[in-house]
Amino acid sequence: MFWNFVLRAVQFRKRRLALAFAALAVSATLATALFSVYSDIERKMRVQFRGFGANIVIAPAGGAQTVPLAAVGLAERQGAVAAPFIYTVGRVEGEPVVVAGTDFRRAGPLTNYWRVDAARAAATGECLVGSNVAAHFRLKLGQKLELEGAPCTIRGIVSSGGAEDAQAIVPFEIAARLAGVQDAASLVQVRADGERLESVQAALAKALPGADVRLLHAVAETEANVVLKVRSTLFLLTALILAITTLCVSSNFSALVLERSKEIGILKAIGAAERKIAALFLSESLILGVVSAAVGYGVGLAVAWWIGRQIFPESAAAGVGVNYGVFLPVTGVTLAMAAVATLAAAARIWRIRPAVILRGE
Amino acid sequence: MFLRFVSQSIRRSPRRKAMTVAAVAMGTAVATAMLGVMLDIGDRVNRELRSLGANLMVTPKARSLPVEIGGISYRPVSSQDYIPEDQVKKIKSTFWQLNITGFAPSMMASASLNGRNVPVEGVWFRRRFRGADGSMLEAGLRTVNGGWKVDGRWIADGNRNDDARDAMLGGAVARRLGLKPGDTVDLFGQPFTVAGVVTTGGEEEDRIFVRLEVLQRLVNRPGQVDAVQVGALTKPEDEFARKDPTKMTQKEYDRWYCTPYISSIAHQIEEVLPMAVARPIWRVADNEGKVLGKIRGLMLLITLAALASAGLTVWSVMATTVLERRGEIAIMQATGAGNGLVAALFSTEVALEGAAGGLIGSWVGLLMAEWVGRAVFQTSLEIPGILGPVVVGAAVLASVAGAAQPLRRALMLEPAVTLRGGE
Repeated sequence: MFWNFVLRAVQFRKRRLALAFAALAVSATLATALFSVYSDIERKMRVQFRGFGANIVIAPAGGAQTVPLAAVGLAERQGAVAAPFIYTVGRVEGEPVVVAGTDFRRAGPLTNYWRVDAARAAATGECLVGSNVAAHFRLKLGQKLELEGAPCTIRGIVSSGGAEDAQAIVPFEIAARLAGVQDAASLVQVRADGERLESVQAALAKALPGADVRLLHAVAETEANVVLKVRSTLFLLTALILAITTLCVSSNFSALVLERSKEIGILKAIGAAERKIAALFLSESLILGVVSAAVGYGVGLAVAWWIGRQIFPESAAAGVGVNYGVFLPVTGVTLAMAAVATLAAAARIWRIRPAVILRGE
Repeated sequence: MFLRFVSQSIRRSPRRKAMTVAAVAMGTAVATAMLGVMLDIGDRVNRELRSLGANLMVTPKARSLPVEIGGISYRPVSSQDYIPEDQVKKIKSTFWQLNITGFAPSMMASASLNGRNVPVEGVWFRRRFRGADGSMLEAGLRTVNGGWKVDGRWIADGNRNDDARDAMLGGAVARRLGLKPGDTVDLFGQPFTVAGVVTTGGEEEDRIFVRLEVLQRLVNRPGQVDAVQVGALTKPEDEFARKDPTKMTQKEYDRWYCTPYISSIAHQIEEVLPMAVARPIWRVADNEGKVLGKIRGLMLLITLAALASAGLTVWSVMATTVLERRGEIAIMQATGAGNGLVAALFSTEVALEGAAGGLIGSWVGLLMAEWVGRAVFQTSLEIPGILGPVVVGAAVLASVAGAAQPLRRALMLEPAVTLRGGE
């Protein structure tokens, strides 16, 4: 009987309820999408900052000229990306040229910002040259660089706007042989995750007392700062929008009760208990709340997924942009608001005098 | 009569009207706040990203290849290329001068300290000068790398004839020599006071910084500069920016020239300093563009989502109000009002409600955007003044659009049917 009543109420006011439903579903959609985006934004922004390359540098300390090559392994055991670099002066056609050596496989993730014509890595007997070097010696891809002691074929031309532009870049072992050092590097660049930066630095400093383990402050702090600011902007906007939409939802539910004063009058006149009428309205609201939250959740996830794919396509493989865990908060908030708003409006049920209402006053 | 009708309708059920207006106001507030933040967040974040340091490097058009490791030149001294110091200020007279947040001319030399060569960089620390238009401008290391951690103090280089021997040490140099602020260090046979110690983590830590004039005198290269670091606010590179400017049509070239891409700013610096080349430092420039692009895009899409839902909210609220008043419409029709008149009456009312809600909402929304800006970026956002009117207009449009369909349906129904309570 009770449920029959509720169902009928829904049937007869299809259009009105459809509108209320639309408004609620839209709020739930917005809430889900914003929650989803917000809960994942920090990780995604930090991925963006990986492009800046190293955020820790291990350099020689005191009177030393090199750091032990073991530093690379130590950093990798900390879960960081690390690559050794060695610098020396070589000769090309009798002119001095800076020769840099690196482990291309390891350095790859740290040198994403290099703009390279052709290959980014060189094998033994091959090399990359900086754009200034290429221009100075009029060298082209595939030609031979007459580097004394280690002639090589040019596989790529690098322009970075930095020191690399005036260097010839060769595999690490070759530069080490030219420099006459063994098991050592001029410096080691390390990229640690922003969240674990300080602990990685501390661990490396402890393990390498003879080296200078430095945080690259500009990169690390800008990353922390920008991630924090974007996150707090999103947080505040999400909070504001949620506050406004819950207000909207609650006024919607109140309206659903208020506009039915006449019906309440009739129910009371034929002897329904107030509690029973309130329960009737409450269950109607909760059904509406559940359905709109579920629909809003689905659409919201789709919106979040779409935003994630549009803006962060590189992390789409990980299924990012969608946070399934937001269902409970979204439904909880929607239902709680529905219940509170309905009950607040339902307080009127006790005050309604059937005779007055039905007379049309 | 018409106006009396509308005002009566509003006066008779103020509570319901207030609820409608409130709903419209809420939708509008969401839209305004999102738009306000979105329109300015790019600029804010761009300024935050400037703490990465310079994104452009200006060097002399070298005939010889620089041979430098960690700031120490391995090239036997030959004819040095240079940029004249008195030309450097022209960087601030280029087309995008307002986007250039700072620049710092410098000169490198190396000094022998404890039997080891240490690079010494002569720079402007903070210098004020009068620009071409007469306004006071600022340049120097502190305008490019203002975020550096300094133990002690920065060197003040106000007076160009001041011969005060102050030096700032990089952290690694200070650690190696066991020096701290207030100590004395011998450079080029002259005693220098350590003003401060700089900790950056980068190659600056292996350097010693002194005033440009002091170094110029010591190495006998007056008026010469080896490099200028420039920090500029840029627009992230897109497809168009990657085109080769020399192959553009005149129209494309004008568009490229008048957009603050890193490449066009570099080009404009080369125009005023013909003896130099300006190159983007891609590590900074490229990534800062990427980060900025992501944030802008994200905010844009979120704003679109919020706008869509705000529009839907306003639309559904207005549709509801018309739906509730079908009886009223039927009575009007029954008493002889034409469809046009009823439609006009209702649309006026709805438009008025939309305008009222829009006004309140945009005001609240602007306050909210302002609050977000202050809370996060500690400065107020620059929100274009046109935003308010546009949002109010949109609120009115959404309101009328929401009311239109149910109104049309109600008008098409026979009054008798509606009044009987059926449909």
